[in-house]
Amino acid sequence: MVILRPEETGLKELLDRVLDKGVTVDASVRVDLGSIDLLGAKAHIILASFKTAEKIGLDFPEGTNLNTPAWQDLTTKQPCPVCGMESREDELKEEGCPWCGWNYRPNER
Amino acid sequence: MSSKKKVALGADGTTDQMRGKTMENTTLTPEKDSSGLADAIDRILDKGLVINADITINVAGVELLGIKIRAALASFETAAKYGLEFPSGTSLETAAWKEAMIEKEECPQCGKRVEREELLNIACPWCGWESAKAKKRKKAGVKVEV
Repeated sequence: MVILRPEETGLKELLDRVLDKGVTVDASVRVDLGSIDLLGAKAHIILASFKTAEKIGLDFPEGTNLNTPAWQDLTTKQPCPVCGMESREDELKEEGCPWCGWNYRPNER
Repeated sequence: MSSKKKVALGADGTTDQMRGKTMENTTLTPEKDSSGLADAIDRILDKGLVINADITINVAGVELLGIKIRAALASFETAAKYGLEFPSGTSLETAAWKEAMIEKEECPQCGKRVEREELLNIACPWCGWESAKAKKRKKAGVKVEV
């Protein structure tokens, strides 16, 4: 997903990218002594924003209520390519951005 | 790669078009400084962060220790919105929780957090900024009560 927000640079953009894409760390360590398997460790770690986590189907902690309206907003809302404010995808495409007035098909209206 | 190019071209075209027509004299640049650590923390807490980890440790071929972590990190507001569980004994009946459930958005002009519906349909109560939708409605003569 490409988000065009010209003022965004540096740390904020970096963080946005990392959170949106998600980070995984897969590591395994093995220590052998002679031919004896002495010590082994395996780690699978994943780090992502709520939105990405929901998209890729990560587990949430036990007791999380996955039926709140905010979960639905994650899938129906999209950022405007000009101002970056989020609005419903169908509204953004059909009527243009309600925040800045950007329109996907300016000639038709 | 190709999709990146497409969006960039499209956006360039529309900004030019908008400068002349719909944007008028409105600029959507936040006055706040948009970099720095504070902003980064704001961002993480606002978006929420999920940290899941499975770690196993073997000694001499025997699984000795297994750790399974399912962690979510977020601000109170985000946590409440996404229905995360709070420590037992937390009273969720206070006024602050009810307010946290109301959807808020940052005003693009002054940066204050305002109720989304009010900001989008009427104007920012702090600085008077109006969204494109509110302007359109005003032009059409439709009054909205929130």
